[in-house]
Amino acid sequence: MTMMKEAPTVTAVSDAIVCRDVHKWYGDFEALKGVDLTVKTGEAIVIIGPSGSGKSTFIRCMNRLEEHQEGRIIIDGIELTHDLRNITEIRREVGMVFQQFNLFPHLTVLENITLAPINVRKWTRDRAEELAMKWLTRVGIPEQADKYPGQLSGGQQQRVAIARCLTMQPKILLFDEPTSALDPEMIKEVLDVMRDLAHEGYTIVAVTHEMGFAREVADRIIFMDGGQIVEVNTPEEFYNNPKHERTKLFLSQILNH
Amino acid sequence: MATISSNKPVQKRWTLSKRFNWNYFLLDNVTGSRALLIWVSFLALLTIGVTIGQLIAAPVRTSIILAVWAILVLGVVVGELFTAHNVVTRWLKENMLNNVSNTLVTLLLAVLIGLVGSGLWNWGIANATFSPELTHPDVRTRDGASWGVLWGARKLLLTGLLGPEHTWRVLLTTGMVLLLWASSFISSRPSLKETLAPLARVTNILWIISPFAAYIFLAGLEYDPEGPFIRMGALLGGTAVLIALMGIFWLFRVIKLTPVSIAMWVLIWPIAYIIWRLIAQTGIFTPINVDDWGGLLLTVIFAIFVNILSLPIGILLALGRRAEVTGIPSWIIWPIAVVSFAYFFLNSTPELWETSRNNIERVFSLWPFLILIVAYYFHKSFQGNFVKAFSILFIEIIRGVPLITLLFMAIVMAPFFLPEGSTGIKSFWAVIVGYTIFSSAYMAELVRGGLQAIPNGQYEASDALGLNTLQKYRFIVLPQALRILIPPLAGSVIATFKSSSLVALVGMIDLVGITRGIIANENWLGLRTELYVFMFLLYFFVSSIVSAYSRRLEERAGLGVR
Repeated sequence: MTMMKEAPTVTAVSDAIVCRDVHKWYGDFEALKGVDLTVKTGEAIVIIGPSGSGKSTFIRCMNRLEEHQEGRIIIDGIELTHDLRNITEIRREVGMVFQQFNLFPHLTVLENITLAPINVRKWTRDRAEELAMKWLTRVGIPEQADKYPGQLSGGQQQRVAIARCLTMQPKILLFDEPTSALDPEMIKEVLDVMRDLAHEGYTIVAVTHEMGFAREVADRIIFMDGGQIVEVNTPEEFYNNPKHERTKLFLSQILNH
Repeated sequence: MATISSNKPVQKRWTLSKRFNWNYFLLDNVTGSRALLIWVSFLALLTIGVTIGQLIAAPVRTSIILAVWAILVLGVVVGELFTAHNVVTRWLKENMLNNVSNTLVTLLLAVLIGLVGSGLWNWGIANATFSPELTHPDVRTRDGASWGVLWGARKLLLTGLLGPEHTWRVLLTTGMVLLLWASSFISSRPSLKETLAPLARVTNILWIISPFAAYIFLAGLEYDPEGPFIRMGALLGGTAVLIALMGIFWLFRVIKLTPVSIAMWVLIWPIAYIIWRLIAQTGIFTPINVDDWGGLLLTVIFAIFVNILSLPIGILLALGRRAEVTGIPSWIIWPIAVVSFAYFFLNSTPELWETSRNNIERVFSLWPFLILIVAYYFHKSFQGNFVKAFSILFIEIIRGVPLITLLFMAIVMAPFFLPEGSTGIKSFWAVIVGYTIFSSAYMAELVRGGLQAIPNGQYEASDALGLNTLQKYRFIVLPQALRILIPPLAGSVIATFKSSSLVALVGMIDLVGITRGIIANENWLGLRTELYVFMFLLYFFVSSIVSAYSRRLEERAGLGVR
């Protein structure tokens, strides 16, 4: 993208996300205590950590659902500042999938998906619907296009949410615990879709508790605790040979329960 | 309940049900708790008292009611004891006679309804007269209604003091609205929706034109035969305003500019203006003073005007109250506050100080300091969010004032705000403004409730998809909020319709105002009951239509949602 107006950003073009010393306070509580992270284009990152560790807050800062108070976040070469144009530009390129799906209950599946392409990307309805149907087919539920979200199962709703996010043709995908609200037998259908996306070369940042998924898909695993990144490692090293004591404790708790 | 009888005929008919247990029956109905015992005893005494009183006053009617009730109770008891319910006794048992208290209440209500109903029947129908000739005080029957007044005063009730030569224009407007309504109704039937799609489109366009048409019909158009047919100032001015609007909408990306849409924006005013002048030239619709409207016509116009105006204003106020605009620096309040403080301190305080008679009044004369205190709190609590501050102040001040005060202010004080030498504002418009301000403050709080019912995730999802604020509210938030708001909005529409009768107190001759006039007329002197019953039925009828319509809307809007 060529929206960069100021030169002093240090990002190379191959860096999709650059976070430098990001701080975030809720009142007196410091949720993020100086987080540094660089994600290369095409990389899949999985963030894990105990609840309250700031991992959701961190990825919600990446598209300005939460505002960071200190430090810099540069997405795809554009810095997140108070400038509304930058925020709009970034949100266009960053898709997000939520734990609670957040589909629009008053619109059909197809309308849910085509709303943003038509109104934000200014596509024609035909073009938006064509791409929407393509993605619905990819996630395996083209026959549900004319139903309302309330008529679908949780797994189907989350797949619609993924299709809605992908029809905007984002470069970066953020997943905020996408399987946590699903029944066990529906988790697999969503993870399968996410796995395909990772293999296709999307830049992915996912917060998840699915260890199998993390091990298989992630290029790097990030372990967060207390608002800080404790450990960054490849999946192999992370599971077999964790460096940090806190990581070992966390892994022993979730793997041996 | 211990007295449940099964649907399946387990026992043979006419053998005493083994399921029925007197102990359980007594426990459930009478002796279960002390409160129940007291309540049933009280109800029994009341019912017996009322029934005996009515037996003495009207033996025949009350005996019939009592007999019918006794037969029904007997039927249910037999059905219960022998497990031999039929359709009637089952319905009675489930709805009217399910236990001892309900059985007593049924009798009590039947006796009371008989009392009121027979009174109404005697007064309203049996002893009533229906001829307009029999309404004069000298020829009335003493103990019956004189319904003739409704027919005799029909013109006054419907249109007030509007000249009879204009009645056809009111009928024309009514006919137009009824026709459009019928057309909308028919073309929205699910079975006809496909075939009548063109009709629906035409109807929608006509609905948009209809307010202008109604205004022309009811208020008429001025035309000066001496003057020019087209005034260039009006023609070019209107066009310029529309082009400016187009520019603003385009800047905020509400509309797209295409050759067709530009041509439409540019040409719509000249075309409308020429049509306007052409209609005016014919002289069919001569001007009517809006203050001549009266009766039901005025009531309906008020309700429609105020409801239609206050919904968008209310939505804007509600959004304003939630706004997070921080563009304007908050210190800007200080120069304004200090200047006005200085002005009042120098001009008002010395005079008040001189004339004050005691220390308390002397303290009051220092009131300009209040301005500084208010400014300080304003600065602290809103921090430059002037949109929010204005909305909150507007809503809270208006909600703290009774409607009647606002109406008096609108009528009495509006002339003070007008420039000197102007002919003054019409009472009708003053009241419309005052009433709309009142109604939109309440509307704003309703809408705010609806907005708060939308889960945060909906806002987040819209943000994450890159929708801007306008799109977020237009496509996601408002459609869902307004759907939740259908029942309270219908309530507000009904409330506005009914409280519009208050305008009678500020001298407007609406339905209530004209009714007071009719009662004072020497031909119909004192026929208040008839007229108030009529008004009761009319208000009730219109309100029920609105309720029924809102229920239908709710059903349709709820399709396919969760």
